[in-house]
Amino acid sequence: MTDKQVAMVIDLNKCIGCQACTAACKSLWTDEPGQEYMLWNNVETKPGPGYPRYWEDGGGGWNETGTGLKPGVLPPKEDHGEEIALNHQAVYFDGTETRLQQERPMGKGANWDEDTSSGDYPNNYHFYVPRLCNHCTKPACLEACPVRAIYKREADGIVLVDQDTCQGFRECNKACPYDKVYFNYMSGKSQKCIFCFPRLEEGVAPACARQCPGRLRFVGFLEDANGPIDKLVNQWRVALPLHPEYGTEPNIFYVPPILPPKFDDKGNFVADDDPRVPMEYLRSLFGPKVDAALITLHEEMEKKQTGQNSELMDLLIAKEWKSLFGIPDVKVA
Amino acid sequence: MASLGTSRRNFLAGSGGTLLTLRYGSLSAAGHAGGTYRRWEDIMRNKWTWDRVVRGSHGTNCTGNCAFNVYVRNGIVWREEQQGEYASSTPDTPDYSPRGCQKGLRHAKYMYGKQRILYPLKRVGERGEGKWERIGWDQAASEIADRYIDHVVEAGPRSVTFGLGTQMLLKRATFAAFARFQCITGAELPESFAGVGDLPTGIYMTVGEPLLGDTIAAVFKSKCCLIWYCNPAVTRIPDAHFFWEAKYNGTEVITIVPEFNPTALHSSKWVNPKPGTDAALAMSMVQVILSEGLHDTGFIQEQSDLPFLVRMDNGKFLRGIDLGLTEDSADQFFYIHDKNTNAIQLAPGTGFQMPIPGAPPVLETRSLDLGDLDPALEGTWTIDTPSGPVEVTTVFQALKAECDGRYTPEIVSEITGVAPSVIRGVARTFAESEASMIFSGYRVCKWLHGDLMQRSFMLLLSVTGNLGRPGTGLQLWNMPRDDDIAAFAFDGIPPTLRVATMVRWDYSQTNAIEMNREFYGNELAEHYDKYNRIAQTEGNYPNYDDIDWKMGVFMGLNPANWRGSSERWRKDALENLETIVVAAPDMGTTPMYADYVLPVAAHYERKDMLLEPRTPYVQAMDAAVLPLGEAKDDFDVLETFARAISERATERNIAPVQDNYQIPVSRDFKQFHALYTKNGTVTSTEDILNFMIPLNEGLPQVPFSEMARHGIMKTNDAEDVVYGEHSAYHDTMIRSTRDKKPYKTLTGRQQFYIDHDWFLDEGEALPGYREPLEVEGYPMRLLMGHARHGIHSMWRDDPLLVSLQRGEPDIYVNPVDAGGRDVEDGDLIRVFNSFGSFVAMAHVTSAMQPGMTFMYHGWDPMMFRGRKNFGAVIPTSGLIKPTSVAFGYGHITYRSLAFEPNLTLADFTCDYEKYDS
Repeated sequence: MTDKQVAMVIDLNKCIGCQACTAACKSLWTDEPGQEYMLWNNVETKPGPGYPRYWEDGGGGWNETGTGLKPGVLPPKEDHGEEIALNHQAVYFDGTETRLQQERPMGKGANWDEDTSSGDYPNNYHFYVPRLCNHCTKPACLEACPVRAIYKREADGIVLVDQDTCQGFRECNKACPYDKVYFNYMSGKSQKCIFCFPRLEEGVAPACARQCPGRLRFVGFLEDANGPIDKLVNQWRVALPLHPEYGTEPNIFYVPPILPPKFDDKGNFVADDDPRVPMEYLRSLFGPKVDAALITLHEEMEKKQTGQNSELMDLLIAKEWKSLFGIPDVKVA
Repeated sequence: MASLGTSRRNFLAGSGGTLLTLRYGSLSAAGHAGGTYRRWEDIMRNKWTWDRVVRGSHGTNCTGNCAFNVYVRNGIVWREEQQGEYASSTPDTPDYSPRGCQKGLRHAKYMYGKQRILYPLKRVGERGEGKWERIGWDQAASEIADRYIDHVVEAGPRSVTFGLGTQMLLKRATFAAFARFQCITGAELPESFAGVGDLPTGIYMTVGEPLLGDTIAAVFKSKCCLIWYCNPAVTRIPDAHFFWEAKYNGTEVITIVPEFNPTALHSSKWVNPKPGTDAALAMSMVQVILSEGLHDTGFIQEQSDLPFLVRMDNGKFLRGIDLGLTEDSADQFFYIHDKNTNAIQLAPGTGFQMPIPGAPPVLETRSLDLGDLDPALEGTWTIDTPSGPVEVTTVFQALKAECDGRYTPEIVSEITGVAPSVIRGVARTFAESEASMIFSGYRVCKWLHGDLMQRSFMLLLSVTGNLGRPGTGLQLWNMPRDDDIAAFAFDGIPPTLRVATMVRWDYSQTNAIEMNREFYGNELAEHYDKYNRIAQTEGNYPNYDDIDWKMGVFMGLNPANWRGSSERWRKDALENLETIVVAAPDMGTTPMYADYVLPVAAHYERKDMLLEPRTPYVQAMDAAVLPLGEAKDDFDVLETFARAISERATERNIAPVQDNYQIPVSRDFKQFHALYTKNGTVTSTEDILNFMIPLNEGLPQVPFSEMARHGIMKTNDAEDVVYGEHSAYHDTMIRSTRDKKPYKTLTGRQQFYIDHDWFLDEGEALPGYREPLEVEGYPMRLLMGHARHGIHSMWRDDPLLVSLQRGEPDIYVNPVDAGGRDVEDGDLIRVFNSFGSFVAMAHVTSAMQPGMTFMYHGWDPMMFRGRKNFGAVIPTSGLIKPTSVAFGYGHITYRSLAFEPNLTLADFTCDYEKYDS
């Protein structure tokens, strides 16, 4: 156990899939050669194959008793897509090509299925899921590393790959059931989200959270009693880990999505108990606790609709942006 | 340039100081504590360092104008981060922080992208070929000046247009510099408001101003918010959180749009009418409200023309002249039937003459206050007039009859595909909520009958009393007042700013009547042309027929992307020009066809000031670094032009050209530079800013340098979430609802009945539904909207953002339609109609309504096969409906940037098939 565990709650009812988090992370940490295909943070449309494609089918994580790792496959590089330069020079300045395009096809990229909906119109459904390393309490990557290059910091529980120690065996790539460890083909090392520890050490929220215009990422320590994380995860229980059955005990939690009501065959609205996103699908993402979480969310929303107070809704509204990051009186120098 | 904060390098070296960024103590305790020292962690810590921080923004026509901190390291912009210092407007609404989006967050990369124009280029190949010679600024300016002089001497000042695009228009000092340059030269400035199909004509027709908007926090104050034919989750990324926060707060957020768009996804409810039928839906809601007695009688009695009396014999308002009055303005006296006195009475606040442009404003003494009057909403009366008895009724009664006859939920369900229960449910919620609003965008304006849609939205708001209070209204945008810009532009020179109505220009210059004939039939083509010609000869519309267009200078705009059906306009209009000059930061279609391409400073390389009504803040853009390569900001580009024109005219001894169009002016080329720089006293954009700030009472009264130190500063008179008369914006609604001043309409009211002959002839005197046009024989609608991963054509070619899409332009299609055409996801399809075709990748998703396709607009033609973008199937650019050029009727008369015809972009159909390359 670490002294403290840093955590994040991502409210899927506010995420608009704008990829600001993706861009913020990319500019800060993965803009070097060898990192073109890496998105330590990505946003994907669910249901859908995601990034890398079909990551949920790749195995990894812990067995059911939590005593050993399940086998995992190495996610193929081409299933990530990548940032590819365009032929600007040839078209615009040399006049040697006529159509502006990527220098080579990118394949099915990281966000290929953006807004690709499931089900039939008008009862179709989809939503956006931002993903980053879960900085798990039981990290499968750490367990799998043959040279102990992966460690979990005592002070904050951040899981890191020591770039000096990593030998590039890629066992972590296979073991992570979320496919959130990447292999740098230039340096020959595995790399992943560092939860912006240099920022965190200075009291600054990670770039993906600090730069989220949707105000939907709460950051803090799990242990901070009555902090937003504690309230959403432990008290209200509306924030749930993604795929808890993988057994790694993630520390990124999600408020599950509520979409608008469906229509019956005459075009009338259908009642809440038959939601647009099938419960089965939500259970497959967030586990069996998602039912209770949605009931709580609905009950609290209804309070507001009828003019009553709701602490939970106020928390999620986050009138004060800085309240997302632990304490209300954040100073800006 | 201002440099903010202590660099983190120094901070880490122990010099003290603080971070110019967000800190929060509870997490920082974790820093460096305990554990083994790991060298690689220090490498990562060292990555997050910088030399200085500068306040910046992007100032494009996304109108976001978000506050950013720009981090500079080793002399280049390394990255950016939202400033995050916005507060809230009121304690009961969320604050505005942080504001930004992925495009803004890519700008530090994009500004160094390979699309940047680094130095002046002169074309050496064919136009569009991309073959250039690098030349110096002196040569470029001198050659362009010679061509300019030659064209003006030969064909007059109006033979040259200087187009200022949306990339620069919002930068206030840049706009002022541009406007001044136009006044000096007499060149035409094609407007880019109606010209891009953005003018909210229906709002203007109703209240006499085109844009009504409060701050975005007003959304949180609404209890029922209809997001109508609009997609703020994509187009208003910095502000979209207010919608979902309102939903959490108990607001019913209802998105009304055919496709299950990213906004619908998060709404309380989604209503999905067939494309282009929104006016029918709104009128049906009005029908429900009126028939169930849910309307706000007091509000419409005072604020609207619904109680006004209308003659049943000719459909005209009962006017003072009908009653034998002989005053000059007797035709603008309107009447109500007062229930208290059981007699007709003059409606308070009427008797209005439109202000004459340029004349001093007349103190408004009239009031809408009804006093003891109790106007009847329904009834018929016989009035004795000098010409005999006249039967009259009220607008309200006529409206009610129209609604009951044409817009019951059962009838409208057939038109829209929306179930009667849904129409009734939404109408009741809207009417019964304490504050209801309609949030709508510019997409509505792009329908030929978008004016009717907006008039019906306004009607729905009015009958429920939802205008002029926080949390209500038709929320679109609010135009900053432009007195400070005009003051600089016109200082010491005749105000000959010639803002050209782009649609009418293109109608004249590209033989649009022929296109109308071909795609919409002779009858429509000739009908529309007749009214256009009358407007031309009898209205006060500028005439573009006889302009011999020689030269186009385009700064910060990419018209070959979208104007007049794209490729058609490029071939029929642009390429006919003798001289094309483009000054821009980035390459794109328009610069590709230019003869000279000049490099312009990107957003972090220049200073300016931005106003954005969605927050009560003014944004300063400071220059973080020098312009890349040989780029200059727009003030400097124009200064270079002005200098070169004066120098070449002196060297060639060119005499002044007499310009007798409208205000007669002698255009003395030799004086251009002195006039532009006010005899050398204005030397930079910052000089203009410091001239303008004291002239704008809505702004904090500090020098620009001070503003730049803060980045954002609160503006004045933006109490609560609504702008007042001393703000930097227009106060249209509360001026009338709170202060009872008449609206700037013919009737002085929210005007729903327009008895202009042309409106009566067209059946558009009242708001209502008219079917969208189609291209005969083609079943599919192609709807468009602003993009998530670009602002128009900007950022569309950023390598990361392209890779977060499909690597090339894609078009959303429904799986049922695709299946019937043997098209699978990822296939290339040819989208076609009898006008033309283009190729894009099919993105199959059940979020699309069967029978429609959707494409995010703005993809540059350069990214398409054959450089044909969606414009290839859009034959709508000649569609100018008669009511949009009506004149001589109070506020219904040509007024630049307020009432002029919109570019139509939605009224067509097409089909698609698998593309076999």
